[in-house]
Amino acid sequence: MPANSNTFMAALQAVQASYLAIRDDLFQALWETVYMVSASTVFSLVFGFLLAVVMITTGPHGLRPNARVYRSIDMAVNLLRSLPFIILIIAIMPLTRLVMGTGIGTTATIMPLTIAAAPFAARLIEGSFLEVDKGVVEAARSFGASRWQTIFMVMLPEAMPALVLNIAVLAITLLGYSAMAGTVGGGGLGDLAYRLGYNRFQTDVTIWCILLLIVLVQVIQSTGNFLYKRLR
Amino acid sequence: MIEVTNLEKSFGSVTVLKNLNFTIEKGEVFGVVGHSGAGKSTLLRCFNALEGYQGGSIKVMGKEVAALGREGIKTLRRDMGMIFQNFNLMARKNVFDNVAFPLEVWHTPAQERKRRVLELLDLVGLTDKAYQRVQNLSGGQKQRVGIARALALSPSILLCDEATSALDPRTTITILELLENIRKSLDLTIIMVTHQMEVVKRMCNRILLLDGGECQGLGQTEAFFLAPTPNVKTLIEDEFTLIPGGTNIRMWFPREISQNSVITRMARALDVDFAIVGGKLERYVDDVRGFLIINVDDEHLEKVLNYLQEKKLFWEVMDDAS
Ligand SMILES: Nc1ncnc2c1ncn2[C@@H]1O[C@H](COP(=O)(O)OP(=O)(O)OP(=O)(O)O)[C@@H](O)[C@H]1O
Ligand SMILES: [Mg+2]
Repeated sequence: MPANSNTFMAALQAVQASYLAIRDDLFQALWETVYMVSASTVFSLVFGFLLAVVMITTGPHGLRPNARVYRSIDMAVNLLRSLPFIILIIAIMPLTRLVMGTGIGTTATIMPLTIAAAPFAARLIEGSFLEVDKGVVEAARSFGASRWQTIFMVMLPEAMPALVLNIAVLAITLLGYSAMAGTVGGGGLGDLAYRLGYNRFQTDVTIWCILLLIVLVQVIQSTGNFLYKRLR
Repeated sequence: MIEVTNLEKSFGSVTVLKNLNFTIEKGEVFGVVGHSGAGKSTLLRCFNALEGYQGGSIKVMGKEVAALGREGIKTLRRDMGMIFQNFNLMARKNVFDNVAFPLEVWHTPAQERKRRVLELLDLVGLTDKAYQRVQNLSGGQKQRVGIARALALSPSILLCDEATSALDPRTTITILELLENIRKSLDLTIIMVTHQMEVVKRMCNRILLLDGGECQGLGQTEAFFLAPTPNVKTLIEDEFTLIPGGTNIRMWFPREISQNSVITRMARALDVDFAIVGGKLERYVDDVRGFLIINVDDEHLEKVLNYLQEKKLFWEVMDDAS
């Protein structure tokens, strides 16, 4: 019994020591990740929403079908989505530099993250909008609602529960992307795990990062689920 | 109120409505009946410009629908409320907000909106459910919300697309009664698309029978059912098992005769016996009519037919197959 207890205490001390050693790095990385993910989620939602509104309006059964516009956006969205994120970061580096003033750093990374995620967001939002009962949309139109009113007063509120779940999916995807952002000095948990955990063989750092990432995913998903239940 | 001439409508190369000509008068209940896919909903949607048409003309209150601009269409839709088979309510909102929606679309001030919504809920008998979510309502209650919403902008025409098809018979009757009361008190013109014969008989003054997008009959409801054409007959299914042997005769009772006991009088006058196969008394728009099927032995057939002829009754000899 005492022997067991001793090894347990020793293990605990080791964990504590490892934690204290990298605490500052870890929190710095966690903050960077949260910052990158939340900013790029918001931005990609904004752009994705605009794209989705155009797609919904011009789509085959939209409020004002326009095959040419719809197909162009549809193709652009598919094209952007088929580029691996790591390639995208490098490919749009000049654009990033132009817009953000620098191509390197956490804030600069928000640009490629947004560009990578906006088409995905557009698809998710389009999907949620398409789920809205066609009859409800028709009813709105039959009372003289304009296209704008139909989208914002009927489709958006009706699609809200599905949208919330999809936003969680989007944020989790961006969490995954953000781990690759280290390449351009984006920092974050993925970067920390790579620099210290992989390159310098500090396995405990990798484990801490993984634990934090798991917690983040859980938090995002359960928030999404909770809001979904509230909104339904 | 609505004037349709030579109307043609197609989806791509498929013609869905062709060569339709009729007028709908102010204050009447106009029924559009026909099998599934006949083009009933499409016709209704042409009235309020939810669909365009390729040929002919639809004039609503004197204005050509196809010639209306955006504002014109908006005004047209304000003047035509619409109710639906599946109610088409916003599931996440409560009764009040659903009824308030058309008023919001038209930027009615909040206070005025509230007053109007409460008035409408009172009209359809849902005052106590105002703040319940529509998800939790029964079908009949949902349709009441639909009716209140359709009336929100004080339209002069009410378009009903299978408004009672998703309801059980008893609820159907209460909804029809509500519609009838509303029509009287608000001086509405109602256009009812339906495939339910009970609804037509009970509500409609006149009927348009559509099949394959073409007019198969147009006229007063009574005439339709008292002297049905073969097209109409296929729509009036009846489920009587006919007695084999002898001859089955269906007699229709128009207004003047239904109260008198035709059958017993005939039996006495001719001194013949016959079996009653079945019958139905139905409520037409404003009174009770019906038909009766009797089975007559072949030896008496001629006598009976002569009697019926003489008394100017509506009747038909039913073939055994039917
Ligand atoms: N948007 C559309 N595009 C192409 N075809 C359509 C469209 N809407 C309806 N149709 C076709 O037009 C025809 C008439 O349809 P409509 O919905 O008017 O029939 P209906 O008489 O209302 O039938 P139901 O009793 O089933 O409601 C059908 O053959 C249908 O397939
Ligand atoms: Mg229909």
